[in-house]
Amino acid sequence: MPKSRNLRWSSWAPAVVTFGIAAVLWQVTAMANPYVIPTLDQVGLSLITDADVYWANMLVTGLEVVVGATAGIVAGFVLAIIMAEFQIMERAIMPLVVVVMVTPIVAIAPALVVAFGFGMMPKFIVTALVVFFPMLVNSLAGLRDVDDRALDVLKTLHASRWEIFRDLRFMGSMPYVFAGLRIALPLAIVGAAVAEFVAAGQQAGLGSLVTIAAAQANLPVTWASITLLCFMGVVLISLLAVVRNRVLWWSNSATAHRQRPSR
Amino acid sequence: MDTAQLHAGVHLENISKSFGPEGARTLVLDKLSLSIKMGEFVSVIGPSGCGKSTLLKAVAGLLPIDGGTVMIDGMTVEAATKQKKIGLVPQSPALLPWRTVLDNVRLPMRVNPKANANRNLRDPQEVLESFGLGAALDKYPGQLSGGMQQRVAIARAFVFDPSVLLMDEPFSALDELTRDAQRMGLLDFWQSNRKAVMFVTHSVPEAIMLSDRIVVMGAHPGHFAEIINVPLPRPRTTELYATDEFRDLEGHVRETLREVMGHKSA
Repeated sequence: MPKSRNLRWSSWAPAVVTFGIAAVLWQVTAMANPYVIPTLDQVGLSLITDADVYWANMLVTGLEVVVGATAGIVAGFVLAIIMAEFQIMERAIMPLVVVVMVTPIVAIAPALVVAFGFGMMPKFIVTALVVFFPMLVNSLAGLRDVDDRALDVLKTLHASRWEIFRDLRFMGSMPYVFAGLRIALPLAIVGAAVAEFVAAGQQAGLGSLVTIAAAQANLPVTWASITLLCFMGVVLISLLAVVRNRVLWWSNSATAHRQRPSR
Repeated sequence: MDTAQLHAGVHLENISKSFGPEGARTLVLDKLSLSIKMGEFVSVIGPSGCGKSTLLKAVAGLLPIDGGTVMIDGMTVEAATKQKKIGLVPQSPALLPWRTVLDNVRLPMRVNPKANANRNLRDPQEVLESFGLGAALDKYPGQLSGGMQQRVAIARAFVFDPSVLLMDEPFSALDELTRDAQRMGLLDFWQSNRKAVMFVTHSVPEAIMLSDRIVVMGAHPGHFAEIINVPLPRPRTTELYATDEFRDLEGHVRETLREVMGHKSA
């Protein structure tokens, strides 16, 4: 629970000033170079006049992000549990995972479009793929890095694997899981946008809108779409922060009191 | 059972433990033998690195030993853990920060519930109250002081009525005034719940105040240098610190520790 409500000007004013300066610089640059970037008022006007178009496209991209990210998060966490519990599974699966993950997602996306067509499926898959890896790696680290001494207490009680997972590892892994989510959720938007780039034209989505508008040199629409992608990222991260505070309220006090053996 | 009565407590016979790769192994515990009877409080004291924590881990079954036997209530450690005969108090409280104090103390009942049958499980709330934590039941560990957290950890070890308690320097992170209060609290509680206790410490007054016997350990490899009887009457109070008997014992233990640590820096 925050003690003060962060309403003092010294907490929010610096960021506002930075944004203000950036906006002014942008506006000045845009007015001097009308064929490079649009002015802020052009972007704003486009957002208002074509609000329904943007809204429809944002819903499409949002659906891709939600479905893809959910699939990637669940798959990453579940596989992490399996790997944490059975070392042999880690040895068996991890090399394949690494091979898939070092393959550039931009290269996989067109291939997936060929395989699955221009529908939603390749977008779900690309989004899930980019989310999956940071979730897997972070969850795995979190499931392993639990308080050794609490683990000792459970072992002297002959706790089963399931009991150790239920009472210690699951919650104990959450600080890492949320660190993973902070990386994964912005990536989910990248994944959805990239998938739309390669499958542009056929389906809607803010990524498609960006490529189509850019090809037509329609600067206000291009940048309005980019702004909305950015806005989606901000919303996701803010939601995450709210959920994190509800789940991990104990985390700061926990690290302050938990003593780890010094190495 | 008569045989159970006969073997109650901890029996170590010739236990050895080495660490390190094949060919370059370091002997850490060298054929240690010790018996702790039911209701007996034994402290293990020694310089850092003498293997006292390793010994405790071996008795707790957390570390496999290379040779010798560890018996708890006449059974192997493995069988004893299955029946939840061992209560462990680690160096840090090791509480679950996302659970209330009461839920933390309930943990030993929740885990391995098969072993709950036919035993004198205590009421977690009552145990916490007797440790002076009645007002903290619904608080979270992060809201408690270090001393209170450690008391919760001790309550967690007592609550399921194990026959053996293993404590690994439980008060070492506390300041001296808090330590003394914790010591006397532990002593009070143990007085009415006499278990076999193995208590690792590096505080001489603490060892004397709590124990029936003090095992002085030496290092390289870890061995028992001397086992010192503490014939002070129970129940004990802080007034004991000022008595001649206490000071004589303290002198004796310190002397033994000096010998154990070699003649280098002593």
